[in-house]
Amino acid sequence: MSLKYESQLREPLVDGDKNYHQVTVDICTPIEVKPSKLWYVGFYISVALLLFGVYSVYREVVYGTGQWNLNKTVGWGWDITNFVWWVGIGHAGTLISAILLLFRQGWRTGVNRAAEAMTIFAVMCAGQFPIFHMGRVWMGFFVMPYPNTRGPVWPNFDSPLMWDVFAISTYFTVSLLFWYSGLLPDFATVRDRAKTKLRKLLYGIASFGWTGSTKHWQRHESLSLVLAGLATPLVLSVHTIVSFDFATSVIPGWHTTIFPPYFVAGAIFSGFAMTQSLLIVVRKVLHLEDYITIGHIEAMNKVIVLTGSIVGCAYLTELFMAFYSQNKYEAYAFFYSRGNLFSPYGWSYWGMMACNVLSPQVFWFRKLRRNVTLTFFMSIIVNTGMWFERFVIIVTSIYRDYLPSSWTVYYSPSIWEVGFYLGTFGLFFTCFFLFAKYFPVIATAEIKAILKTSGENYKDRMTPIEKEEPAEFVHQFAH
Amino acid sequence: MAAIKEKFEIPGKMRTWSLALIAIGLLLTIIGFITKGLSSEEHERAVFWGTLLYNSLYFMMICNACMFFICATTLAMGGWDATFRRVPEAISTLVPIFGTIAGLLMIFIVLSDKGYIYQWLDSKEVAHSKMIQGKSGFLNKPFFIIWTLLTIGLWSVLGARMRRLSAETDNGQLSYEQGKSFVWRNTVTAAMFIVWFALTTGSVTPWFWMMSIDAEWYSTMYSWYTFASTFVAGMSLITLWVIYLKNKGYLELTNQEHLHDLGKFVFAFSIFWTYLWFAQYMLIWYANIPEETIYFKHRVEGAYRGIFFFNLIVNFVCPILILMKRSVKRNYTLMTFMAVLIVFGHWIDFYQMVMGSISEQHVTLLSSGWLDFGVAALFIGLMILIVGRSLASRPLVAKYHPFLKESIIHHT
Repeated sequence: MSLKYESQLREPLVDGDKNYHQVTVDICTPIEVKPSKLWYVGFYISVALLLFGVYSVYREVVYGTGQWNLNKTVGWGWDITNFVWWVGIGHAGTLISAILLLFRQGWRTGVNRAAEAMTIFAVMCAGQFPIFHMGRVWMGFFVMPYPNTRGPVWPNFDSPLMWDVFAISTYFTVSLLFWYSGLLPDFATVRDRAKTKLRKLLYGIASFGWTGSTKHWQRHESLSLVLAGLATPLVLSVHTIVSFDFATSVIPGWHTTIFPPYFVAGAIFSGFAMTQSLLIVVRKVLHLEDYITIGHIEAMNKVIVLTGSIVGCAYLTELFMAFYSQNKYEAYAFFYSRGNLFSPYGWSYWGMMACNVLSPQVFWFRKLRRNVTLTFFMSIIVNTGMWFERFVIIVTSIYRDYLPSSWTVYYSPSIWEVGFYLGTFGLFFTCFFLFAKYFPVIATAEIKAILKTSGENYKDRMTPIEKEEPAEFVHQFAH
Repeated sequence: MAAIKEKFEIPGKMRTWSLALIAIGLLLTIIGFITKGLSSEEHERAVFWGTLLYNSLYFMMICNACMFFICATTLAMGGWDATFRRVPEAISTLVPIFGTIAGLLMIFIVLSDKGYIYQWLDSKEVAHSKMIQGKSGFLNKPFFIIWTLLTIGLWSVLGARMRRLSAETDNGQLSYEQGKSFVWRNTVTAAMFIVWFALTTGSVTPWFWMMSIDAEWYSTMYSWYTFASTFVAGMSLITLWVIYLKNKGYLELTNQEHLHDLGKFVFAFSIFWTYLWFAQYMLIWYANIPEETIYFKHRVEGAYRGIFFFNLIVNFVCPILILMKRSVKRNYTLMTFMAVLIVFGHWIDFYQMVMGSISEQHVTLLSSGWLDFGVAALFIGLMILIVGRSLASRPLVAKYHPFLKESIIHHT
């Protein structure tokens, strides 16, 4: 008796009448044909944004951080907000590939490749901010701990900013390896279908000489598991350490023990929102609705409502503790700087609450979870909200410090700060457009592995098994 | 074809053991009440009521964690646990019973103004402390009692509803439509349970029941930490019962594959517990604010130093070193050992959370451990008796559960 059984109550993960060949064709075709006009338009806009970003950064490097509007109390402004925002977005990919692999969630196969790519690009964007925030970026290598001729001068290992360097570089390395090792068999497929010599050569190099032998698959599978095991703690560690940047301090609103897990939940929340934004477009443009189904979108919306509620629970916990602790500085941070809508930055706190806590609650309803337009809209709302969250945490806690004479004018970013942020969007989308054109955006091999249990056309074949009495089923299975 | 064994017969030995444990536990508790509970010394009385408090809270919350497991897998459309689903269901029948004990106990403590348990009940302390006065909007008797009743009441009601739904899978094959409706109704109830669980175990309830013992101290992590502690112990409890039933020849559809996955849960959430432990401890240690470090001062440097490190060894070092290997998670003997160790380990964790605040200078587990183990024996005896009866009262396998067949062919 075949082991390929899955309950019919589960929604198919691959729609339509598909076989292995059809899967290959569907996913490889966009790589083999010329991109559409829309692709060019999008790509050029991205490159233009990127160039604007490069110029903004150029000004900052040449004239110094004075080009930004940071002031006496707000020493961290848009730069660190954007850093944390991008790092957060870079969480969904590894969660999907590692943790959902360990939880055996079959739907991950439709979305993991694109989500992992997004992760890598998001972490690349994130990295820019602390590097250029240094001011003298050419001294950046000082963060590397090695015996040097400068004294030697060692980096401060007690500083969470130092831990960030290690956490994020480790995360980036493992995510990249994970993503790339998954790509090998798919690159080989593209290579084998290539019609031109150049294509064959390039994809041949990219696929590391993959032949599809049993030995290759065996090693590939073990490698995936090992990398999943390594990546799982990394999903938690990166944003934990980012939260330490704040929580180890004694700044009101920053020092709270719930920060690490709540940052992780928030990161997953924003990462899934970004995955939704991208995949809803990708599935439409590349005609992949059969692989990224409404079921996939619904599953991701479930993760969004879960993590959004966890984040909401943490916000309310913090708010409650600001009262419960009876600490007047905490109370000032939470009830005045944030909670009071009419304080200078009150709007950002309530914007965050509306976007992150209230609005995702629409996803308790199945109909709304399965509505593509609403999901796209919500994914933008969530990422706006998560940007607000970081802005709230950073700016509302520091703009009025313990010394009122330092309180300065209202902080709003300069054009070059905004330009830097837009530039990272340019970088992100440039990379993503190239990815969508030259890479198989869906893990072809993994889709094939679930096709015969979760494909729509295979589901009907389960009917006789569904009708069997349990005892009969056990008996047949045993023989 | 052999029929699936569905009827659990309570073995004589099991009944004897449970009754013996209850008898011993009851006896020691009564002795404790006479020697300590009625003592003229406040410290002795605190030890008696504190011991009852942490035991009843711990055993109630780990049983409720089993219902949390059922609801979480339901929402995630998990199928792998269908073959042994009746086990966590049976354990969760204890929630109303242990809940009544714990609820009455706490209400009694609050109504009789036992300030040596909850600092905010002590009018002298409150008069001195502006901080506690400021909290009276939250730390007051009516709110405490209402929230306690609501917490335990809704846990029990929603849990019972989940179990009632599960009974529908005993009577015969579900059609596709019936199956869909079954999954849907399960999902709705499970979602309600999870929301209530998040509002109670995940936030307000541990602040009331445990954190308010040190009425001036606070940590935003506290409730999530409590959740992690009880959840991993609850998973160990499920593992123990599954292994027991396997050893008696039941649950023939549950095999090493399921055990392996239970082992993964115990392993993963042991690490998760450690993560929360570390995040809470490290942040308080690093910022070094006296209002916060006071909680750990005597735990790390004072009488509780041994317990403090023992807690970490049992609940972190042991699981990470022993459970990491695949073969261990598939080994019935080693998994039994680890499950017992972790249930014990988190009992110690609860001990230090509660007693570490009530009896700061003396580790009562060393001076009068008979009481701690006696009360625990009472709860364990009750657990064996009642879980055994619940298992026997219903079919052991949810035979027509829509995901049962998936669970039968499950492999990790």
